[in-house]
Amino acid sequence: MAEMIGSIIILLGAIFHFSAGLGIFRMPDAYTRMQAGTKASTLGNVLVLLGLAFLHPDWSLKLLLLIGFVLVTNPVSSHALARAAHVIGIPMAQETGVDALRDVRKRGRGAT
Amino acid sequence: MTSGVVLVTGLALILIGMWGLLTHRNILRIVIAFSLMGTGTHIMIVATGYVTNGTAPIIDRALTLSEAPARAVDPIPSALVVTAIVIGLAVTAVMLAYAIRLYQSKKTLSIDSFTESKW
Amino acid sequence: MMRKISAVLVVVFFGLVFSSLAINFTERQSLRPLAESYVKLVPQDLGAPNVITGILLTYRGFDTLGEVAALFMAAAAVGLLLGTSDKGRGGSPAELSERPKPSSEIVQSGAQILVPLISIFAAYIIMNGHRSAGGGFQGGAVIASSVLLLVLASPRYRVDLDFFSMTESAAGVIFVLVGIAGLIFAGGFLDSRVLPIGQFGAFISAGAIPILSVLLGVKVGCELSVIVDRFRA
Repeated sequence: MAEMIGSIIILLGAIFHFSAGLGIFRMPDAYTRMQAGTKASTLGNVLVLLGLAFLHPDWSLKLLLLIGFVLVTNPVSSHALARAAHVIGIPMAQETGVDALRDVRKRGRGAT
Repeated sequence: MTSGVVLVTGLALILIGMWGLLTHRNILRIVIAFSLMGTGTHIMIVATGYVTNGTAPIIDRALTLSEAPARAVDPIPSALVVTAIVIGLAVTAVMLAYAIRLYQSKKTLSIDSFTESKW
Repeated sequence: MMRKISAVLVVVFFGLVFSSLAINFTERQSLRPLAESYVKLVPQDLGAPNVITGILLTYRGFDTLGEVAALFMAAAAVGLLLGTSDKGRGGSPAELSERPKPSSEIVQSGAQILVPLISIFAAYIIMNGHRSAGGGFQGGAVIASSVLLLVLASPRYRVDLDFFSMTESAAGVIFVLVGIAGLIFAGGFLDSRVLPIGQFGAFISAGAIPILSVLLGVKVGCELSVIVDRFRA
């Protein structure tokens, strides 16, 4: 029973990873691609580790620490990447509605 | 069966990397294709060392000393791949440094514009 | 068009070769003779539970020295290509000022949590090379990733190139000296039996393998950190 639940959760995680890859392939510009890649693949990671915790219950504490680590590192690195892309001036897609850092781009240097 | 699947995955990755290497014109995509080929090769080498129902060649609670020769996986391909991964990182760094210099000299990332070495 | 056709032909040809490899592949039921002798010898003679580290640092130790030399060549090539010289720097965009911009708050606070964790983890991997999975190469790569995070989080952080180069060279020299000590006092070059084998599985055991692991980890970590620092804008 626990094996079945664990395997289904791992399969769900694999589906999320696949959708992350599909998103990177199909999204129009760099920023949306980064968002698709990070969000979906982080969730896929968490689900796969959770499913593994169901299959091997005595590894639960280590897997929980791993999940915490993944949740801290993935978004930070993607944020640094997206911010660097914005500073260099990579153009956004035509359909972009809101640019939260537009005045930063206009002002140029000296702002965070 | 298990290592057959892993072997086919590794070989498929090598083929995909080779296709990307030969088709793309952007230098950064060619570097990504190289890295993909490297990863596929590592997976393939490790897959050849699998022994049926084997486990990692580390002597601890799961694998005692007396049953090690019967149940351990081949340690030699793993040892080769461990160093190969780190060296693959260094070689990718060299390729990216080349890409930076090429971009600084011609302001474009398409390899069609670098024709000095062609016949 | 010609180019695409020849690319397709090359990939199809390699696909045929690989498929003949994959079809005739049968999973092994028992270890090959050489692997079996390694799995028996390493815990017995060297006292190291981790067979892979025992192979890498004693039985195939000379290959490890060669791979370290290959890493050094890669670091030298990156230093040559990206080294700071005033002549070749025509590409930096004019609107980036000389004073580096501070990074955003998320990256800074993330780095404050993560850099100590990653450094401790790297030290743990290196020191436990002989007891469970780990070793010098892997720990060195993790050290370089913590340096990368530091460089990303505080752009004013300058990697001290002199210190890293001297540490790396000193680690390499001591590595070769331990190898020569193996030549004089024990079986051959890089034989790890110069130091007593000790109790199986204890922290200080397995001869000179922990020392070699630490030296290797320090050398690889410094090299990759220098490579990472060269890529700074």
